[in-house]
Amino acid sequence: MKICVLYGTETGNAEMLADDIETALSDDHQVDCANLCDVDPADLGKETFHVIVCSTYGDGELPESARPFAQSLEQNRPDLSGISFAVFGLGDAEYAETFTHGSIRLADLLKACGATQIGERMTHDASGDDMPEDLALPWITEVLATFSEQSKEV
Amino acid sequence: MQAGISPQDSFTELPAAGVRLRMAETRGSIIVSGKIAIVGAGPSGCYLAQALLKSRPDLQVDLIDALPVPFGLARYGVAADHQGTKAVTRQFSRIFERQGARFFGNLRIGRDVPLEQLRAAYDATVLAAGLSADRRLNIPGEDLPGVHGSAKLTRALNEHPQAVSLPDLGSHPVILGNGNVALDLLRLMCKTPAELDGSDLGPGPTAWLAANRIERLTIVGRSPAAHAKFDPVMVRELGKLSNVSIEVEKFAPSDDPDTQKRQQALTDIDGHGEGPVRVVFRFGLQPTAIEGVDRVTGLAVEGTGGRDVIKATSIITAIGFASAGDLGREALLSGGALPDGKLDDGLYGAGWFRHGPRGTIAQSRSDAQATAAMILKELSIDPARVGNEIFAGLPELIDFAGWQRIDAAEQALAAPSRCRRKFTSTDDLLHAARQRD
Ligand SMILES: Cc1cc2nc3c(=O)[nH]c(=O)nc-3n(C[C@H](O)[C@H](O)[C@H](O)COP(=O)(O)OP(=O)(O)OC[C@H]3O[C@@H](n4cnc5c(N)ncnc54)[C@H](O)[C@@H]3O)c2cc1C
Ligand SMILES: Cc1cc2nc3c(=O)[nH]c(=O)nc-3n(C[C@H](O)[C@H](O)[C@H](O)COP(=O)(O)O)c2cc1C
Repeated sequence: MKICVLYGTETGNAEMLADDIETALSDDHQVDCANLCDVDPADLGKETFHVIVCSTYGDGELPESARPFAQSLEQNRPDLSGISFAVFGLGDAEYAETFTHGSIRLADLLKACGATQIGERMTHDASGDDMPEDLALPWITEVLATFSEQSKEV
Repeated sequence: MQAGISPQDSFTELPAAGVRLRMAETRGSIIVSGKIAIVGAGPSGCYLAQALLKSRPDLQVDLIDALPVPFGLARYGVAADHQGTKAVTRQFSRIFERQGARFFGNLRIGRDVPLEQLRAAYDATVLAAGLSADRRLNIPGEDLPGVHGSAKLTRALNEHPQAVSLPDLGSHPVILGNGNVALDLLRLMCKTPAELDGSDLGPGPTAWLAANRIERLTIVGRSPAAHAKFDPVMVRELGKLSNVSIEVEKFAPSDDPDTQKRQQALTDIDGHGEGPVRVVFRFGLQPTAIEGVDRVTGLAVEGTGGRDVIKATSIITAIGFASAGDLGREALLSGGALPDGKLDDGLYGAGWFRHGPRGTIAQSRSDAQATAAMILKELSIDPARVGNEIFAGLPELIDFAGWQRIDAAEQALAAPSRCRRKFTSTDDLLHAARQRD
């Protein structure tokens, strides 16, 4: 499968996790990894599965590197029907009311443009004891299995 | 080592080979090319190493720190109750564990090794040594007992090995400053023991906070509320404190959206809580003198409403960090650093050392990435440079494995309501680094 891991970050935690996901999937798939600030939403491909890894800042806002991408989704409304993606959110549960809202926002914007979210959104709490990769790697394996199932049914 | 290529063969292919032949150094399967020294293993130094090694895994990047432990202000500045922010250190650990950077702790450049000698031994040197002194107010009374700088106080709260002991603040402390460090101090000073659960605040600072008998805590900004530097998120966090009653002095609303956000956060916490510690925010007051005979009794200020003296049993200045004069910083920066941090041929500056005491961890990351690109563009490799050989014979250098032993011991010693118990003296840190099981 062609997979593209896209990250939105400020202090690099999301990038590190995106690298881990890329490494873990590389044996079985053709995987790329990119910063959201280097990607135009209109260029997302139908033959690629997108894994979005994104943190949260401010009061539930997007991290700096995800903002141009989100802005483009909002303003240009590209047609993303046929595009599949999964979302992993990084945050800090100390910010209880806005916990991982950045990733929710990004998923909502993608869906509003017609993209399809596969599997449940997964989250990581920077104040917790878990390592993000320990949560993300089993999650992405399951998401990809779901995606393969669904692709077969179509 | 790469299959079929001896170190000598590949060595002769290196760009600047042939000066004085040395055995090519290897790291795992990688033949090391250029050598880069980074002075200071705080966030800026770590992000710089990360960016350099991501583009060029063949470089030898050595991170040097005066302390036996890495991570700078991520360990000794970021507040004990902000463990989510401190978690960037997980990322920094990878630079040593997976990207091949080396740590040389307990090594102060300028004291143990002269900067010139370091520069001669490496193809490029980066000064990411931060700033450690408190900026002065330059008003009368500043040196009275009872006046404390936030650099000293935050180091003490974070149990830095060179920290002073925590001072008695009395019933009416005043914090002067409107940045995030001022808010960190205010928040910690107001927290109940239960609100500190999960932090790494040590037993000494915990007992100190519990013994404080603060009745009224005034936080004074020199600029109007519209220019306060607080992050709105940090302001909102005060709205969760249980021990306080907060009053925010009236201010003129702004029409700039970013400013409105900060002002909204201030308006939202005005009137919060019914706790015994009265917290008062005041703005637009220029301090003119610190009053008192053998100890501070008040802060004289001048505002649009005229002159006022705010009663103070202690004054904490949180107006920024300054250079302690190390590494000839002022002379190096006097010409003005070039864009992307270049100070001189093969010498670069990064982070707070270069920019002054401004900027978050996120900003040190983007800044480090730009500086790394500049270094890689200019790098001229001379295999004759000896790198870390110049440290031979220095006593008690701590490598990353030594830090990992300290880290493991600190986590194992943590009380049930804490995530870590720091060793507080250099001797204890060195001792823990030596313990192998
Ligand atoms: C109290 C406080 C709280 C903060 N909280 C936050 C926060 O919550 N979030 C956030 O994003 N930012 C925060 N910041 C800002 C953040 O810490 C800085 O942006 C960042 O640490 C800048 O990093 P630096 O690497 O330039 O300096 P530093 O972190 O100070 O690192 C410099 C390192 O150099 C070493 N060193 C100094 N001199 C020498 C020498 N001669 N030889 C060898 N080593 C030397 C020091 O020991 C130190 O480890 C805070 C800052 C302070 C002061
Ligand atoms: C100023 C600031 C504001 C934050 N706001 C939120 C927030 O509203 N919600 C949340 O879940 N996490 C919040 N976080 C936590 C970050 O999302 C978390 O630390 C994450 O791991 C950062 O990932 P990154 O390094 O990829 O940017 C905030 C962190 C900072 C420093």
